[in-house]
Amino acid sequence: MRRFGYILVLLTAMAVSATAQERTVSIREITVLGRRPMKQIGVQQTALDSVSLKENIALSMADILAFNSSIFVKNYGRATLSTVAFRGTSPSHTQVTWNGMRINNPMLGMTDFSMIPSYFIDDASLLHGTSSVNETGGGIGGAVKLSTTPAQNRGFGLQYIQGIGSFKTFDEFLRLTYGDKNWQLSTRVVYSSSPNEYKFRNHDKKENIYDSQMNIIGQYYPIEINRSGSFKDFHLLQEAYYNTGKKDRFGINAWYINSNRELAMLTVDHGSDTDFDNRQREQTFRGVLSWDHLASTWKVAARAGYIHTWMAYDYKRDLGNGIMAHMTRSRSRVNTLYAQAEAEYYIGSKWLFTANLSAHQHFAESRDKNIVLQQGDTGIIGYRKARIELSGSLSAKWRPTERFGISAVLREEMFGRDWTPIIPALFIDGVLSERGNIVAKGSVSRNFRFPTLNDLYFLPGGNPDLKKESGWTYDVGLSFAVGKSGIYSFSGSANWFESYIEDWIIWLPTAKGFFSPDNIKDVHAYGVELKADLSVALTKKWLLELNGSLSWTPSINNGEPRSAADQSVGKQLPYVPRLTSTVTGKLSWQGWSFLYKWCYYSTRFTMSSNDISLTGTLPPYFMSNISLEKNINLSWADLNLKGSVNNLFDEEYLSVLSRPMPGINFEIFIGIRPKW
Amino acid sequence: MNSSRFRYLIVAIILCLSALQSCMKWEYGTMEEFRVGQSGLFICNEGNFQYGNATLSYYDPQTKSILNECFYRANGMKLGDVAQSMVIRDGVGWIVVNNSHVVFAIDCTTFKEIGRITGLTSPRYIHFVSDEKAYITQLWDNRIFIVNPKRYQITGYIEVPDMTMESGSTEQMVQYGNYLYVNCWSYQNRILKIDTQTDSVVASLTVGIQPTSLVLDCHGKLWTITDGGFADSPYGHEAPSLYRIDPESFTVEAQFKFGFNDSPSELQTNGTKERLYWINDDIWAMDVTATSTPIRPLIESRGTKYYGLTVSPINEDVYIADAIDYSQQGMIYRYSQSGELIDSFYVGIIPGGFCWK
Repeated sequence: MRRFGYILVLLTAMAVSATAQERTVSIREITVLGRRPMKQIGVQQTALDSVSLKENIALSMADILAFNSSIFVKNYGRATLSTVAFRGTSPSHTQVTWNGMRINNPMLGMTDFSMIPSYFIDDASLLHGTSSVNETGGGIGGAVKLSTTPAQNRGFGLQYIQGIGSFKTFDEFLRLTYGDKNWQLSTRVVYSSSPNEYKFRNHDKKENIYDSQMNIIGQYYPIEINRSGSFKDFHLLQEAYYNTGKKDRFGINAWYINSNRELAMLTVDHGSDTDFDNRQREQTFRGVLSWDHLASTWKVAARAGYIHTWMAYDYKRDLGNGIMAHMTRSRSRVNTLYAQAEAEYYIGSKWLFTANLSAHQHFAESRDKNIVLQQGDTGIIGYRKARIELSGSLSAKWRPTERFGISAVLREEMFGRDWTPIIPALFIDGVLSERGNIVAKGSVSRNFRFPTLNDLYFLPGGNPDLKKESGWTYDVGLSFAVGKSGIYSFSGSANWFESYIEDWIIWLPTAKGFFSPDNIKDVHAYGVELKADLSVALTKKWLLELNGSLSWTPSINNGEPRSAADQSVGKQLPYVPRLTSTVTGKLSWQGWSFLYKWCYYSTRFTMSSNDISLTGTLPPYFMSNISLEKNINLSWADLNLKGSVNNLFDEEYLSVLSRPMPGINFEIFIGIRPKW
Repeated sequence: MNSSRFRYLIVAIILCLSALQSCMKWEYGTMEEFRVGQSGLFICNEGNFQYGNATLSYYDPQTKSILNECFYRANGMKLGDVAQSMVIRDGVGWIVVNNSHVVFAIDCTTFKEIGRITGLTSPRYIHFVSDEKAYITQLWDNRIFIVNPKRYQITGYIEVPDMTMESGSTEQMVQYGNYLYVNCWSYQNRILKIDTQTDSVVASLTVGIQPTSLVLDCHGKLWTITDGGFADSPYGHEAPSLYRIDPESFTVEAQFKFGFNDSPSELQTNGTKERLYWINDDIWAMDVTATSTPIRPLIESRGTKYYGLTVSPINEDVYIADAIDYSQQGMIYRYSQSGELIDSFYVGIIPGGFCWK
């Protein structure tokens, strides 16, 4: 083994590919001669493989992360806002990049992962805690790095998948590709729609049966449908890459989103869905131009990008005459210009230096409400602001011996006119044992997160005096990887982390009836993350893959009590589960594959005091999904048939109070890839 | 498949099957029987907007006992989203649940539901004109709903002039003779005068920006308190004020100005309606005959922003709601008139509205 160096990267490759000609499976033992990637010294990273990402076209990145990672996905319903949070932090503590460009909404701070179709992502990795400092600032919880890659096809290619599912759900996916020696072109389209009217028994309210005198003579829990939850989401992704063959590659990625979603009524809403129209629309364009130059010992890259987001929220009421009158008419518009330059330079095999500088210039406009002013004319409650955000980093990575590596990162950020102190991060790893490839990792970093534009300027309530949140995070962990070529691979990791976050920003009601943010909380989050992956070639034709994760993440309010009555100090933050777990099992045989996905969330408290009340309970739940897939190879095309069952055990569950979730539901997919 | 690989498969399948057990520990529908005394205090706990965790609490001042979540416990269902206010008429409690678009009628002794009014826009307060007519004010609607409480039906609307749906806001109601007075709060600056016989707005009076509450004193005078708006609001930002209004001439008789950055709210009276109480960080009180606001508060703040206030109509004890961090059980402090703390007890999330039985 020594001749392979210390690093054994076991990539489990499911050999049952789209071509069913391959009737045998294998576990490839892939070695990286010499060393692990210098850029990953000490980094705690979860990489999502293409098998997970391309499981089916109906899945968003929120679905993928829920079943394939240990991070917490807070889901407000089917095809509604889904946010993710690492290690007991909040969604705005998770930074998200797409092809290098940060795509967190600068007004809200968070990213809606239900708006990211997994079929648009070719490469996804989670950078836990300190590891995010390598990529970007502000990721107090971590970062999600999403990117697209060239298809590496030659000639024309086409793929079309049609999905038809419960609740009149239709999902369509089309991809056209063209590739030659220099060019790689790709066009992807996804369209998903559904009235989303799933049934559920509403235990939060009862229907009354009255006699003629209007006395209640009976009550029952109604079987209701998810009211006003329809959606129509359209995504278009155009990519073009040009490789000069002389170490330069140019790329363009353009992604357009047009979404029209109703906001489903709460389980405690006694209104009629015909009386109200509660709808959110979004149009977003994201574009990135890139240039990469790769030489033997150095690399430079530059990117430029643009994001335009238009969001509309309309809440209308039927006046009884068929006219829908606006109760709320909110509009927001953000234009973001992006530029980034980065360089890497190797000195021999022991040193790597990197530098990175990025700029995001936001122009944001919020028009939240139209009012009649005192003088009788009209006015708008909102704000218009611009903010420049700079982030730069320098790193030095040193591997003096084959068993040991150390990396130091210094990052500096400026939002508006406010600079962070130097953000340091230190990463160390070392091989403890060649046998079993046991590697120890450790890291520590400082981090900061600036208030969002809404935090600062939203009317009413924005607080321009907010301080930035700050935190220290520590990580230590062990990983191992063993395997035998063609037989099995088994890898796993265990990490301990600890974070201290100060000046956590919380929005609270004011005496004037609106909410306003303040630096309220100090939080101590800590815990354990476990991961394991097993692949076994049971026979030459049978392949079994198992992946599992488990996170134990106490996230404790460490602040000062607001008064003697405050019971929240020392308690778990609301809506953060202490325990999450996922298991995915896949059994493959001769073009058939059976996938079983399972996830678990422990009880989420809904009160900061961790009291469990009758009306504020979110019990733990398991969720199980299965799918069966068959690839058929014909002379003129590759066909793919797939059937999925979601919520296999028809579980009644809630992710957020008063937001109904669907019971058992089904979807079938038919895919075709013609051979030209 | 050799035996060792087969074992792998068996282990893997067992692992998968172990996850198949069902899991949701969820209990619903247990209903308790209550029978409380003749007098007590209901507390409407708003809960968090959009989370449907509003609750109702009931406090017996004699025994100092508290019943929390009594609506859920009596009825086996949730109260809803944002319990705004409650009034009692003839032993029936009417709870206005704002973002659930409903007004529940409950038996005030058993807490059992006896009916509900639905079809509302964003209800805030209910006022009874007679046994068969009540008004319900709304947010985001330029109409006050007329309902028949006996049939739980909407029977009509009072159109509010010079008000749009989007910035519509009608709030608390006080009746004086045949006329009803309503303060218009959110992005408004008016008190409305409504003829309860014709169900129409007959006059309006401009006061300061955003009058939050409205009461009637023992001399038949209306009092309202404004919050003054907020910084950078296109509607304006001014020093809040306390106004005394003569309902017959419908004119402002007196104005008492607060500091520019003050946020007074929750104007209340005692049982005899001779004294006014309000929140402005601390708890303040003054006689209705006073010619200036007091210099010192009646009860000082205990560190957090007070959210609700009421005064016992029997013994004038002062009850103050502390929402603490707005995401845990709030605390009610009960003080004597001399400022002595008599009792304190936890209720639900964001206690705001009180109703004396």
